[in-house]
Amino acid sequence: MPFVLGMSGGATALIAAAAAVLASCLSWIVALKITQRRKRSRIYDTSLRLGLEQPEDDGGDNIDLLMMAIERSVRAMRTESVEAAAVNSRLQEAMDSLPQAVLVFDDSASVVGHNTAAEAFIAARHSDALIGAAVAELVADALVGQSSARTLELFGPPRRTVVVTTNPLESGSGSGAVAIIEDITERRRLEAVRTDFVANISHELKTPVGAISLLAETLLAEDDPAVAERLANRILSEAIRVGHTIEDLLELSQIEVDEPVEFGIVDIGDLAAEAADRIRPAAEQAGITIQVAGSSTALSVRGDRRQLLSAISNLLDNAVKYSDQGSTVDVFATAENSEVLVAIVDRGIGIPVRDIERVFERFYRVDQARSRQTGGTGLGLAIVRHVAVNHRGTVDIESRLGEGSRFTLRFPALESNDPDASEPGVFEPGAFEPDQSSDLQPERLS
Amino acid sequence: MAEQRKSFHSELDEIRDEIVQLGALVSEFIPRGTEVLLTNDMKGALALIEADDQLDALTLRIEEQCYNVLALQQPMASDLRSIVTAVWLTGELERSGDLMVNVAKAARRIYGATLDPKLKGLIERMSEEASRLVKLSLDAYVERNASLGAAIDDIDDALDAIHGDYIEAIFESHATHDLGLQAAVQLALVGRYYERIGDHAVNIGQRVQYMVTGWLPEQTGAARLKARASFELPADLDPPGGDADAT
Repeated sequence: MPFVLGMSGGATALIAAAAAVLASCLSWIVALKITQRRKRSRIYDTSLRLGLEQPEDDGGDNIDLLMMAIERSVRAMRTESVEAAAVNSRLQEAMDSLPQAVLVFDDSASVVGHNTAAEAFIAARHSDALIGAAVAELVADALVGQSSARTLELFGPPRRTVVVTTNPLESGSGSGAVAIIEDITERRRLEAVRTDFVANISHELKTPVGAISLLAETLLAEDDPAVAERLANRILSEAIRVGHTIEDLLELSQIEVDEPVEFGIVDIGDLAAEAADRIRPAAEQAGITIQVAGSSTALSVRGDRRQLLSAISNLLDNAVKYSDQGSTVDVFATAENSEVLVAIVDRGIGIPVRDIERVFERFYRVDQARSRQTGGTGLGLAIVRHVAVNHRGTVDIESRLGEGSRFTLRFPALESNDPDASEPGVFEPGAFEPDQSSDLQPERLS
Repeated sequence: MAEQRKSFHSELDEIRDEIVQLGALVSEFIPRGTEVLLTNDMKGALALIEADDQLDALTLRIEEQCYNVLALQQPMASDLRSIVTAVWLTGELERSGDLMVNVAKAARRIYGATLDPKLKGLIERMSEEASRLVKLSLDAYVERNASLGAAIDDIDDALDAIHGDYIEAIFESHATHDLGLQAAVQLALVGRYYERIGDHAVNIGQRVQYMVTGWLPEQTGAARLKARASFELPADLDPPGGDADAT
């Protein structure tokens, strides 16, 4: 009995176990069905969101078709997004090539896009921080739909004039704004050059002519020979003055002509000594010593002898004019790396910082009153700069008020084994004039 | 909590940016005031004096912001030092701006006086040097560069040297040129203003050192005093301060 009982107990357990397995299998199958249904409905939802055609849910083949359609759609979207990224980077590249700084802001006034030029104004310091502050202020206006612009004069250095413009952006999600920062310093400077030139040239030409006609009128009615002589002398000096101005203007326009000049080989040390000799009598009269320090080697450059001499003479002339009695003007001619340079150093009145950039303009005067006394035409430095540019050279100034100025002319040096020394059109040995050929064996400076 | 800290740090950044802006305004004031002085530009002088209000307003705004952060966030350690430094810097910068306003006012007082080129050149030099110092001190602040902050004291020697030459040039100009006594005195004061701006920059440098390292130059002296007080006072029972007088 115990066995039977045992048997029946075992069978019951077996049955119970089988039932449990069956139940769990059933529930598993049901769960699987439910999961599958859910998955299917998610796939249908996705296809609906992707805007694909909706086949009927038959629980079988249609699902596969739908899956394929979804895959196609995803592939297309991926291509599209790659294309969109390409367009975006193209746009960014185009923005980066703009000279103006462009910053795009979202509705909370944070920067969401900018070009390379704008990098200077993000987390900026010094003057740029002030531009950044102005942008922040104007962007606040733009976010409430107001376009605005502001011009900032910054003392730097360097001195700059900057215009900040902001506009609201309405397309896309939420409001936004764009800020454009433009440096108009150069434009302003050119405008000033133009207006000043017109004013100055009329002044330089009209003043002596007006004086001449007035003096002549007085002379007509004058009987006293002593007074008449004085008037005639004044007329003469005014005529000489206007004559100088016209001569310089002609020289300048000649230098400016684009026609290629036949360049020869010129020794700069030689020229510096010659220019110094020319001006020495006038300098000594004013009590100013000129010292020339030459180089022991030839300082040959390719150039136009007359133009180069005129440039060096003009600089020397200025140095003497603006020096005090008893001071010294030094002329250095040396070779440095692949350049030949002439420096004219005076200990005169110097040039104010704000005028240094402008002294090369025609007729620009640092001090109108003084320049009438010294009697220059106001064109000397303009000539110097043009000569330098014509010879692929540069001219720069170091100056300090009350301490003096240093003008340095630099030209590319002619190397002894210069391969393009015989290049046609640039340098033609046949074009030598007799006095230029002597420059090939230049005299040494004393 | 994390959200709160983030807003706290963005507040600190904001204060730093505004200090940079204040510093930029001041370093603009320097060449601007110098030009007013050298060109007798009375319109510019008035504009500069009026522009000082902008500087004052910004100073007040930064200070208030600092007090708010102190009261509401109770910052500690380096954050606390940053805020304290910011409060100090507003004072130094605002004062430097005022000094340039004084230059503009001096330009008005000596209106019509002709300065010889040497004086003008030295004024230009002092102005450039002062403006460079202010910029360097701000660089030290933004970069949290304690060594640059410490170096400003020595960099300032150049300005002091030019200032010395300038005073000599005033004497010379007064003796040999047509520089009147009144203009000479005003110009001497102008020199002093530039020199003071340099000193403010040195102070900023020291405050930056404090912000980064937590150490002020005065602390060396204070530590000495404390050491003397604790070791020597009980021994010979000097009254407080008596020791300091003796040294």
